[in-house]
Amino acid sequence: MNKKYLITAVALIVIIAAAAFVYIYYQSQTTDPGLAALQNLVDDHGDKTTLTAYPNKIVSVAPSATEILYAIGAGDKVVAVTDYDDYPYDFSAWIAAGNMTSIGDFTNPNLEVITSLDPDLILASGGVQKQSVDTLRNLGYKVLVLDPTSVAGILENIELVGNATGKSAEAKTLVDSLTSRINAVTEAVANADKPNVYYEVYYESTSSWTIGAKAWQNELIDLAGGTNIFGDQQIDYYQYQVEALISRNPDVIVLPASGMGTGTQATIDAVKARPGWDTMNAVQNDRIYQINPNIIERAGPRVVDAIEQLAQFIHPELF
Amino acid sequence: MSTDKVESTFFRRTSRWKLIVLLLIIALIITVIVSLNVGYAQIPFLDILSIIGKQIPGLNSLINSSSISAQNSAIILQIRMPRILAGVLVGAALAAAGVLYQGVFKNPMADSYVLGVSAGAAVGASVAILSGLSFAFFGLRLIQVAAFVGAVSAMFLVYNMSRVGSRVPVATLLLCGIAVNFFLFAVVGLLEVVAGDELHSIVFWLIGGFSNVLWKDIWAIVPFIVIGIVGAYFYARDLNLLAMGEETAHNLGVNVERSKQILLVLASLITAAAVSICGLVGFVGLMIPHLTRLLIGPDHRILLPTSTIIGAIFLLICDDIARVVATPFASTLELPVGIITMLFGGPFFIFLLKRKKGYAA
Repeated sequence: MNKKYLITAVALIVIIAAAAFVYIYYQSQTTDPGLAALQNLVDDHGDKTTLTAYPNKIVSVAPSATEILYAIGAGDKVVAVTDYDDYPYDFSAWIAAGNMTSIGDFTNPNLEVITSLDPDLILASGGVQKQSVDTLRNLGYKVLVLDPTSVAGILENIELVGNATGKSAEAKTLVDSLTSRINAVTEAVANADKPNVYYEVYYESTSSWTIGAKAWQNELIDLAGGTNIFGDQQIDYYQYQVEALISRNPDVIVLPASGMGTGTQATIDAVKARPGWDTMNAVQNDRIYQINPNIIERAGPRVVDAIEQLAQFIHPELF
Repeated sequence: MSTDKVESTFFRRTSRWKLIVLLLIIALIITVIVSLNVGYAQIPFLDILSIIGKQIPGLNSLINSSSISAQNSAIILQIRMPRILAGVLVGAALAAAGVLYQGVFKNPMADSYVLGVSAGAAVGASVAILSGLSFAFFGLRLIQVAAFVGAVSAMFLVYNMSRVGSRVPVATLLLCGIAVNFFLFAVVGLLEVVAGDELHSIVFWLIGGFSNVLWKDIWAIVPFIVIGIVGAYFYARDLNLLAMGEETAHNLGVNVERSKQILLVLASLITAAAVSICGLVGFVGLMIPHLTRLLIGPDHRILLPTSTIIGAIFLLICDDIARVVATPFASTLELPVGIITMLFGGPFFIFLLKRKKGYAA
């Protein structure tokens, strides 16, 4: 008698479990595969986010995130950007015309504006935005932090944003094309010598700043076939001794173009006139170049433009 | 006391003063020589002597410098020498100005921040950075000229706002200065918020330092600082009498308002010249006069020259530390000198204060 009940119970459990398994399997086969990609999105700080549907209202709290969104065709979902956003469109003109909302300053995004928009997804960056990210998550918003430390990290970010917005295929295509462009550069410079490159962050009478190994411009210079002249310093941005630069004698000088005065030639002449700089190979051989800071400082798809430009600066004979 | 006795005390004192000043000048020269040897590039002392000797007419033909690289020569002549001179000038200027401010205000907390001079310089420099313009003005950069103009304007603003009739009461001056100071630093804060990409330029300028000063910068500030300090020396006696109270000073024949005015203008010009090339290097102006008072005494006739020299030595040593601190780790890092002045100056000053328990400024 007891045995009979036990067998019936076990049989019932097996039948229900099998039915449930078949149902779940069937569900996963028939639904949009993109929706599965919305599960467990892991961002650069290791935080997991799950979305239940494709986001329709995206707030971008970093110019680099905006550039990624537009590059994979998710730009039509963007409802707000920072005041610094200027690519791929002139967003300040859009904001002035009322076609886009500004969330204000990059370092201090306006949380009231963000909450009033009630976005489905917020893309933020690391560092100074940590506190805002915590607040937004406590308010129940879905936030992905894009804080890559390498070019590979940027490519992963593009795929992550693709997965989060239902543009996985577009993201994959973009990543493939960026990868092949990077490979074209690295193959071209593979057998060339690696000139010493000085990358300037700031230079005034009071102090001078550059990048060490931990800033990612270091990797861009490396991929472009050069050696960061301060690449032995295990630090990101730091104040260096000018006499160390003069002693090490750079072959190429790269300057971010903005904030350095007006005309290009005027800026380059000013660099040549700095005390003691006339002893450097880069100055004697006229190897001083300017680069758009937005392509080399933002963790977006345009870093590949930066790699290509750097390669032309460092190896003009190859490109 | 007989006249003989007074005279002999006076001569004993002045000869002691002369000895102190002489010893300090020797200490300064030694510090300069040591500083010439400090830095990332390891240049032998004999090479340094040849590089400098090569610049002296008449001596240059005797020196064979063929073994010395162009890099090392540039480092000594165009990087280290102007930087050392800037350290001497800025340290001397800030310390001398500190003596004048503390003397006029009879307040131990007085320094270049009190009259809004530093804040004015900061506003001037920030505006210049944000303007994005970079034209030169008599060979000086716009930032430097703007910082100087900002500093001097702030001082005149505070001074004129504090005027009550024909007098400028010290208490009003102090309060006006503090109010203007906060106001101007709020303006700097606002400018930083709207600065965008230029934010780091403002922040770095405010940290201060003189890593990349030019010979031109030195020549531009030398007249202000030398004339300012020498001019102030003639008012050292007035400062001594002012220390006994304005009423007493007036009764002893000091034209109180006039002396105050001249001393404050001189102190502010000295400070403005210094901060225009080095940004806001803190603590030297506040601490060095107290330190000198502890070591040598409160008489302004000796306090002013000795503070000036000790200020120069102190800032030079701080800048040397800023340069060598990372060298053992094969690093090209350099620390902002303003951080060193406060990091080492603060504890050292408290140590001195504790040893002389009865000290009151």
